[in-house]
Amino acid sequence: MKLVVSPCNTTGPFFPREFSDGNEDLTRRDGARARGEHIILAGRVLELGAKPTWNMVLEVWQADTNGIFRHPLDPRFAEVDPGFWGWGRARTDPDGWYRFRTVLPGGDQRIPHINCAVLGIGLTRRLVTTIFFTDAPDPVFDCVPGPELRQRLIARRDPSLNADGAAGYRFDVILRGEGETPFFVD
Amino acid sequence: MKPRAAGYQYSPYGDRTQTLRQIDRYNASFTRVPASPLIPRPVTLSEQTGPIELPRRWNAGKLALSRAVENGPRAVGQLIRVSGRVTDEDGSPAAGVVMEIWQANAAGKYVHAMDDHIAPLDPNFVGQGRLVTDEDGRYEVFTVKPGAYPVLYSGWWWRPPHIHFSILGQSWMNRFITQIFFPGEPLNETDLLLNGVPSHDVRERLIFEHGDTVMGDLSYINYRRDFVLRGHRRTPELA
Repeated sequence: MKLVVSPCNTTGPFFPREFSDGNEDLTRRDGARARGEHIILAGRVLELGAKPTWNMVLEVWQADTNGIFRHPLDPRFAEVDPGFWGWGRARTDPDGWYRFRTVLPGGDQRIPHINCAVLGIGLTRRLVTTIFFTDAPDPVFDCVPGPELRQRLIARRDPSLNADGAAGYRFDVILRGEGETPFFVD
Repeated sequence: MKPRAAGYQYSPYGDRTQTLRQIDRYNASFTRVPASPLIPRPVTLSEQTGPIELPRRWNAGKLALSRAVENGPRAVGQLIRVSGRVTDEDGSPAAGVVMEIWQANAAGKYVHAMDDHIAPLDPNFVGQGRLVTDEDGRYEVFTVKPGAYPVLYSGWWWRPPHIHFSILGQSWMNRFITQIFFPGEPLNETDLLLNGVPSHDVRERLIFEHGDTVMGDLSYINYRRDFVLRGHRRTPELA
């Protein structure tokens, strides 16, 4: 017998900042530093009319520099980078900016990508999308119809975001309206 | 925590068993929910996996919100014990997963910079914390019953007492966030978020079950809510 999945509801405006702060950096774990190319992944979360959203929560999940997930389902789990968490959380500031420090994920079965979920006011259920770095065949990327929409899922190199030896990449999340980010069925 | 078998399956959340994405008069849902249809995609290893080390990363274990510090003064309000069990769709326990809880104090005020409601803070109430489910997927937290509060911009909407829950399962696919309401509250009848559901049955699952009352050295009221995370084992094929 299958049980019915519990109903989700919104985080509302008061998701504790203590739950986000300190989780924006995926590259330090147990005193070790992550291997691979460190990057700053940053951008703005905008709502209808290109207005910034404040206090939206972003969660990310990705493989390490070698494409290994920190999870026992990954056949190469034993070799996962000891300096890399794989999971992070950030919140947007009053101008809608979020910012992660992470590594450029490696690719194995999939092209390099970062799973991204958006939570916050107005979202009774999370929104999920995937951030890519190149346009190449991929079982999820290929589901997005047309090159124009697929381009919206590619993080762009942005030197103005460089920090502390990490290369800046820009990825804006447009929840609704012109240039709307493609989101996936969840 | 025990890793999940590779045969775990995740079906899309059903619109008939979930809160509506857009709710009349909940204005932010019309400026933030995408206008374009969501795109179907396969579930690969990337989505089947997820953060397994959060209990250790956050040093989470047991949680009590009824005091700001251990053995400190009790927070103002009605002492309650909130408990339940977290399982997957098969009823198997979600053991060793992090649950994040946050709520207003008894006066309806959050400890949060964005809360403009003029109501007193309580120095003995922090209103948020993390716990880890036990081997049977059970959780419990002593806290105080939250107060109702006005949504100031709306001009009319008062939120009924509720507690927020965030559960981080072992997979990107079973991340879960909700808010749970108290039975019998008059404001439940007008709350946009509680009533933005497709059926009475879904609404009931957003409300605590009223448990027994306890009288003794510690007297409190029990409230219960089980949670079912998405995910079930693949049905074995007949030999």
